[in-house]
Amino acid sequence: MAAKLSLSGPSDSDTSSPSDQSVSGRSVNRSLRIAEKERRKNEAEDPFVLALKYFSDVEPGTPVNGNDQLERNLVCVEKVAYSKGLHPEAISIMLEFAMSLRMGSSPCVRVLKCLIPSSVVPQEAVVRAVVWLGIGKIPISTQVLFIKWVLTVFDMIDAKDQLRAIYGFIFSFVTEENLCPFICHLLYLLTRKESVRVFRVRKLLELQSKVGRQPFLMHLLSLYKVFCPELVTLSIPSPMKNAFRNHNSPWKSALLAVQKRNGSQVSSSSLSLTAKDKTNSRKRKHCHLEVPALNSAVNKQAQTDSCSSRKVVPLVQIHSFAQLLENMHRIELPAQMGSLLGSSLTLQFLDCVQDESALLRLNSWLGYALHEEFLFCNDAGSFQNSEEALQFLEKLLSTLHFRQEGFSSIEVFLYKFLNAWDGSLLRPQILGLMSNIPVVTSSQIGQFLFEPLMQLFFTSSLFFKCGLMECLNNMLLKWLTWHSVYALEDDLDISLNSHTSINITLSGFKDSVMELVHFVGRLATVGLQLEGCHSLLLSFILDFYETVCDMFLKYGLPLVVMPPPGVFYPALFAADPVSVDRLAYIMYRYKVNLTSAKRQEKLKEQAFHISRQTFHEFNHYVVVMVNCLWNSKMFHQGMGVQLGEEVLLKSNVPQYSNSFDLIHHPAFLSYAVDFHQKCWPGRKDMDLNSIKHSKPWRWYLEYLFTQGYDGLKQFVQSNISWQPIAGDGGSDDLATQQR
Amino acid sequence: MEQKQTSVVKTPRNSDGAQRSSYRQSYRSYVGAVSRLGLTSALTARRLNTSRRAPRAHNITDKVSPEHLAVLVKKEWQLSYVTPLFQFRHTQLKRYSQQLSAFIAAERQGVAVEVEEPQHSFKASFSVVHGMAEAEEDAETILIQVHSKHHFSRRDDPEKCVWSGWLACINGSPEYIRSLPKDFICLPLFGSSGGDPLTSSVKSWFQQTFDCCFGSLEINHTSLQWLGSLWTNCQPESNIQHLKMIWAVPVVPPLQITYTVNPQDAWELWTCVRKDAQVEKEGEEEEEEEEEGIIDIEEVNMFMQELKSHFYRHFKLDLSAGNLVQVSTALGSAKTSGRIKISNSRYMISTLTLLTECALLKMPV
Repeated sequence: MAAKLSLSGPSDSDTSSPSDQSVSGRSVNRSLRIAEKERRKNEAEDPFVLALKYFSDVEPGTPVNGNDQLERNLVCVEKVAYSKGLHPEAISIMLEFAMSLRMGSSPCVRVLKCLIPSSVVPQEAVVRAVVWLGIGKIPISTQVLFIKWVLTVFDMIDAKDQLRAIYGFIFSFVTEENLCPFICHLLYLLTRKESVRVFRVRKLLELQSKVGRQPFLMHLLSLYKVFCPELVTLSIPSPMKNAFRNHNSPWKSALLAVQKRNGSQVSSSSLSLTAKDKTNSRKRKHCHLEVPALNSAVNKQAQTDSCSSRKVVPLVQIHSFAQLLENMHRIELPAQMGSLLGSSLTLQFLDCVQDESALLRLNSWLGYALHEEFLFCNDAGSFQNSEEALQFLEKLLSTLHFRQEGFSSIEVFLYKFLNAWDGSLLRPQILGLMSNIPVVTSSQIGQFLFEPLMQLFFTSSLFFKCGLMECLNNMLLKWLTWHSVYALEDDLDISLNSHTSINITLSGFKDSVMELVHFVGRLATVGLQLEGCHSLLLSFILDFYETVCDMFLKYGLPLVVMPPPGVFYPALFAADPVSVDRLAYIMYRYKVNLTSAKRQEKLKEQAFHISRQTFHEFNHYVVVMVNCLWNSKMFHQGMGVQLGEEVLLKSNVPQYSNSFDLIHHPAFLSYAVDFHQKCWPGRKDMDLNSIKHSKPWRWYLEYLFTQGYDGLKQFVQSNISWQPIAGDGGSDDLATQQR
Repeated sequence: MEQKQTSVVKTPRNSDGAQRSSYRQSYRSYVGAVSRLGLTSALTARRLNTSRRAPRAHNITDKVSPEHLAVLVKKEWQLSYVTPLFQFRHTQLKRYSQQLSAFIAAERQGVAVEVEEPQHSFKASFSVVHGMAEAEEDAETILIQVHSKHHFSRRDDPEKCVWSGWLACINGSPEYIRSLPKDFICLPLFGSSGGDPLTSSVKSWFQQTFDCCFGSLEINHTSLQWLGSLWTNCQPESNIQHLKMIWAVPVVPPLQITYTVNPQDAWELWTCVRKDAQVEKEGEEEEEEEEEGIIDIEEVNMFMQELKSHFYRHFKLDLSAGNLVQVSTALGSAKTSGRIKISNSRYMISTLTLLTECALLKMPV
């Protein structure tokens, strides 16, 4: 007995009273306990303190029956336990009293039942009690009760190192039939890689052959498999929940009540540990869409046995972000990389994986799943099972969103799939995946993306067209964001060193962006014609150009591409004021970008070059807009829209050159009428041209701007030097940028 | 090797800039899949080779042991494609045998099993089939056999082979194989023969151990036509006995047409087609020596076209409307469902080359 005691022995065991033994070891708690002692002196008269003293000093063999003192003291302890919980020292005393059977086994159960800790449970007390388990003559039911108690308070035990040190001792109890389920659970909580040994595996397997496949055995063995897959193998049947049935422990409610009262919340996860096991019993029809389970790798470990000094942690064992951070440098990759997509925690880890092989493994699995589901379609009618496919893609999208980066296998898959897609199957998801395609080199972009997309675009509904526009806008945004991040990070002076290889890739990137923008321009032009300039489609197209016009200032990409006439004119002549306003805003941003680019160009010697053509196009558009909206010179020479004089006369439109100014433009006509009524409420005959006069014109503009047309406001302010008071409309002037 | 495994997560050396080294590098990684695999030409349009070498009678019996050949030749195999195996080692086969035996036992009985236990009811064994690999990049073929032990059998009773399978790569595309990191072994063609539960056990063991995926490999119309022609081409050297083709015609009720051709007739038709094609080519360019032994898809198509028109002349039924679902000769048989039987080992290599190519076409990355 003495030998065994010293095994778990406290370092300063010279103190005689068992209550002091708990003071040992944990130096962290030492100061706390000194304070405790102080307080104890003051409360020497406290009946609870007296009761504890009684239990620590009581002589072995004291009779139980008719012992009023015992009864009184026990009731006192119970009262404190159920109201406030027992402090660590009290736990030690009471546990020692109960397990040593100093007064026989009858008070033992009663004491165990009231062992409600208020804060922590000292490890030494538990270790000593376990030792008593081996030597005392405790009835088996009480032994079970004790282990159940340990399981309940497991998370409150202040340290586990000594408990782990006596792993083998605890393991020896598995042969005890009644104890076995609970011992297995305790072992499950204590097991580390070094505890898994061949002889223990054999022992458990031997037990299995005796008692059959009991869930508690299987669960412990499956943990052994996690650590040493080369030693043991098993297939876990899916309904594996409730492996350890300890949820009905007698302390749970009392413990919760005490913790609630004390305002502390020590989570007891050890109890709920098995409850969260996935109940994935439903047999899936298409197993290729199932994310593989997280398993530790078999072969790797066997191969690294030689250098086992390096401790690796299987990813399966990581349950929290804190653990992940702590073990980041020694986490072992799982057997199947696809399993990383299974939880958000593993995704965090995936973000740090740089190993090319690991990513290839993941891509292989992902590509395989996508190909089998959407391209090979071996089992007929897998498209009908689109609910599963939908969930899979949604999960994939959220992964991509989380990672902010694509997977090459998705890209390869999409290039193939776009040729087979009907444009409606899982449209939002496929478009979502597509918008994550990283930069495609300009030599390949046509074949891989544009050709299939063009076919889909022209043969699909308006909603597909809008969706595709949105998708391409998102794609462009992602490319540009990527560019701005890396260009900044490298502190790269893009405009310099035009002959180094860096500039080649930059120009490669520029080429790709240019290809994309031109492609969208072509799509938009034809799309607007096909759909009769539908305002919804126009809105998505303008979204795209809002990105394009700011490429230089927002993303630092020295590239300005103007929209084609097929987009510009439909927007300018749109019947809804919002489109015209947005076009005005876009033109305003183009101007800001171009002037800033020009300034930089002058500043630096080897500046990037924005072609004269671009400036020319821009100027032309601005002239058209100003002439059209402001100067009422709609069909003048040099304008984009030219019609023969006789044709215009034939149309019988009076003052045709006025018809698209801010007053007569179909988008603003209602505002003009409204303004007219407000301005001259008394007038019976409406003469909109009277707004043209300088004063009402100014008011009218103010009126339009207050309606929220900020784009228009910015456009007018930046492009038209306009002295409203000075005189009549003739003084209005063009101030477009000339080169 | 060990070093490589442990360093999956690279800690940034000093600052945040360490792992995203430069614009150029990140651009390269960002440009992604397409450039990595170097499949710039036709990623979306990978097709079967349009010409291939005529099968020559291999003296394969010299290179491959007769026991192995006997196993490979007798059975009908169900084919699958396999993505590259991660950290598969031809030197670890003994351990794999042990692990797979334990895995099968655990799956079968639903209990935990000790891996090193010698007495499993199923005994899996891995072996290398030496001499099958053709090109330098090809990994050696792996043969897997599962033997079962009956509880009541006597000790000296021979164990019964209940399942067998193999993984092969014959003349696999060197570009593809070279593009893989060196931890990967490419054995894209998997054939299995035996009970389905065992097949799925073996597959899932492979999936969990080498992080690979299995998908079914069907032999399509074109591949079947190729096989029919390639086999017919062997007629002078070894009698094919018949050229049997089964066509499925999509009518209601579904119609299957079995079309058997006399071997000599088939051969004569084939030589005519070959001659025409050769003459045509000769007219274009005079490189007859090099053209010898190369069969072109044009010839295959022409051969099939002639067979179909012959059928039409007799039965007024155009087989073009249907699908070729099975081809068989004395050299072997192939079904569109992905079942293949190789009856003569002498021409095995050219058949497996074609099938390897089919399997590689299915690779997702």
